[in-house]
Amino acid sequence: MSRPGMVLEVDERTPPLLVHAGESVHLQQFPLGTRVVYPPDSLPGVGDVDAAIHTALESPHDSPPLRELLWPGMRLTIAFDDISVPLPPMRPPDVRQRVIEAVLEQAAAIGVDDVELISAIALHRRMTPEEMKAVVGERVFRSFWPERLRNHDAEDPNGLAYLGQTDHGEAVEINRRAAESDLLVYVNVTYVAMNGGHKSVPVGLASYRSLQPHHNVGVVRHSAFNDPPQSAMHHSYQRMGAVVADHVRVFTVETTVNNDPFPEQLGFLNKREWEWGVGDQARYLALRRANALAPTAVRHKVWQATRAPYQITGVNAGATDPVHERTLATLYRQQLTEVDGQSDVLIFGLPYLCPYNVDSIMNPILVMCLGLGYFFNMYRNRPLVRQGGALIMFHPVPWEFHQVHHPSYVDFFEEVLAETTDPAQIESKFEAQYATDPWYVHLYRNSHAYHGVHPFYMWYWGAKALSHLSEVIVVGGDRRSCARMGFRSASTFNDALEMAADSVGHSPSLTYLHNPPLSMGEVR
Amino acid sequence: MGVIDDVAQVSRGWRWLRRSLVPRSAQPHTPTPERRDFPTGWARTPAARVVRQAVLRGGIKPLAWTETSPRVRGRDHLDGLAGPVVFAANHASHLDTPLILGSLPRGWADRVAVGAAADYFFDARWRAVSTALAFNTFPVDRHGGRRVTGLTRQLLGQGWSLLLFPEGSRSPDGWLQGFRGGLGRLCVDHGLPAVPIAVRGSFGAMPRGRGWPRPGRAAVSVRYGPPLSPEPGETGASFTQRLRTAMTRVWHEDATSWWDSLRADAEGTLPEPTGPPAPRWRRVWEATRPPRAHAPAPAWRRRR
Repeated sequence: MSRPGMVLEVDERTPPLLVHAGESVHLQQFPLGTRVVYPPDSLPGVGDVDAAIHTALESPHDSPPLRELLWPGMRLTIAFDDISVPLPPMRPPDVRQRVIEAVLEQAAAIGVDDVELISAIALHRRMTPEEMKAVVGERVFRSFWPERLRNHDAEDPNGLAYLGQTDHGEAVEINRRAAESDLLVYVNVTYVAMNGGHKSVPVGLASYRSLQPHHNVGVVRHSAFNDPPQSAMHHSYQRMGAVVADHVRVFTVETTVNNDPFPEQLGFLNKREWEWGVGDQARYLALRRANALAPTAVRHKVWQATRAPYQITGVNAGATDPVHERTLATLYRQQLTEVDGQSDVLIFGLPYLCPYNVDSIMNPILVMCLGLGYFFNMYRNRPLVRQGGALIMFHPVPWEFHQVHHPSYVDFFEEVLAETTDPAQIESKFEAQYATDPWYVHLYRNSHAYHGVHPFYMWYWGAKALSHLSEVIVVGGDRRSCARMGFRSASTFNDALEMAADSVGHSPSLTYLHNPPLSMGEVR
Repeated sequence: MGVIDDVAQVSRGWRWLRRSLVPRSAQPHTPTPERRDFPTGWARTPAARVVRQAVLRGGIKPLAWTETSPRVRGRDHLDGLAGPVVFAANHASHLDTPLILGSLPRGWADRVAVGAAADYFFDARWRAVSTALAFNTFPVDRHGGRRVTGLTRQLLGQGWSLLLFPEGSRSPDGWLQGFRGGLGRLCVDHGLPAVPIAVRGSFGAMPRGRGWPRPGRAAVSVRYGPPLSPEPGETGASFTQRLRTAMTRVWHEDATSWWDSLRADAEGTLPEPTGPPAPRWRRVWEATRPPRAHAPAPAWRRRR
């Protein structure tokens, strides 16, 4: 049985603790009394994944078995999550490949000819053929690419179907092929609690018009991303999911992975520090040296080439709600740790990867999104840091962008943030212009660029944290980048604590969210 | 941060050459490490013995004798004694083993195997290998274990004497703790004599938590007592009690004089070296007094 998560209180016996900072890790001595939130140890996998998938498809929740939903001559669409999950990408075979192959085996046996596979990228960049192959596997790729295996296109006027609106007036417009299918099978990897459920179809296959009702500053500020019952955003997904269900039958397959994001040779990154053996210490030192000696490009390539040895901890299939309920239970079992009360200062190290820079560059906006959008929201009940508290993050925040993947980010950073960092002002003044810019639309549809509006969503993602916190300090952050985003940069952690004293005093309570592996606080 | 800084940080954080510590708030969640069997037979091969003798005589003993100021008494009790025997000593410091091995006559020191806590010295391969080579240790399960009993029997069968600490672990305050029953049973079962040894001052020189003796060449004392043999029909518990009394007498002899200890034993007033019934700090305070700072005057100079 895996050990549960724990909250360590730093004492004089505590060794320095590992902190991620972009494409680097280091050991940091924390002040005595700092609370450190560790996730539960990795859950054991299900063992025989194919058998688990077979069982899920044969005994789904609140749904007939998949084979009973298939018939010759039907239109079957299989949609699946893109490479933004899990992080880092899984070692092959990807669990999505296994599920898709299992679904296709049944469809082939029953004589379903009209099959299409769509990667539910929403406004993310289109996956390259190689990335697509890594997700669905060579066999599926060779059989369907490129005619019947493709990326969703949220800007294709002919490829979208308007399904109506919710009782809150939210427009629901999704991929036409999916909407007009006899059965839509959605294959998901629920990596964090904000994903999965009704976020899959109404968001992953949506148009910009259909994302606006929930991807906005007002909704984000009233959302606890990883606590769906307390999230206005998830309430919106739920309403949209009901509209989708009126038009197309959705058979959801959700999978969860354990907390093993790093391969064996970097296994010490998954361990609690005081349990490091001599080998772990040697590997840490070797990693530090290799990192320091490697040219930037090589280091970037090596980190990006990391593939996680995740094990599958659950496969559930059937109707979306009961499936997602079980998925979340498994996910929380893996990530959630009880924490007693909020603290004055929240600390975390930001790793080299977030959902939007797989095979890409983590630009400053993504740093903000990962810190204030994702990690800040790794809580249930209430934030780990009190209202008016301070946030200290570790990351170099280099002023660099991927010109192909993030063209609108460059302009957003140079033009929009130069004028204001207030999410509400940004939304009202700039969003429409970027969202409808024909050049960005063209790059989204034909190149591998994120949609023009995507950097706005990244900024909105941090809107709740921005209004909750009094101070954001980035240790080791590039001063110009941080200043552009309204953050302060500190040379060392001690300097950051000194700077935070302005807002939280000289003896603040500190909480370090030890992350990754993914860790989440249930704050009492 | 350069490579030297990194190595220094890791060596400090994980206390290289010392036992790394677990933060207090993490201890309840730490599972008992799986016990692993470390073979130690290789440490008693002729080649290992040669290496050990060189290490002991060329390194460990000179170091211990340089860092502390030992006084060894009572070795004459070993004259005429034939092995194997069990050396039973009180235990307050990691210095005890080097002091005893360094003070034993060569013929004995080369034929002694030292019982070491399996969960402490044999939890990591490097530690097990290094202590087995340097001190000829063998694992002792503090909670009892058939495998260890079998190993002890095997060692005795091969003619090895044993050095065991009947308290089971180092004293937290330098005073004598309760004895466990294993050593007594072992002597009774095999008809072995036990030689009581009182080590005084080692707690003050290098208590728990220190990885090196404190500066200043602290005075320490190693005193051997007369061997104690089990009597016919005697139980292990009874022998353990007699051994404790014998060790108490040796301790008292070292603290006072041979004559005083004999008289106190005869009068039944032999004080147990368990320290004053006082708060911990006072017990530690007393235990860290150098054993020779208040050495009594010879009996013939004292007035009664």
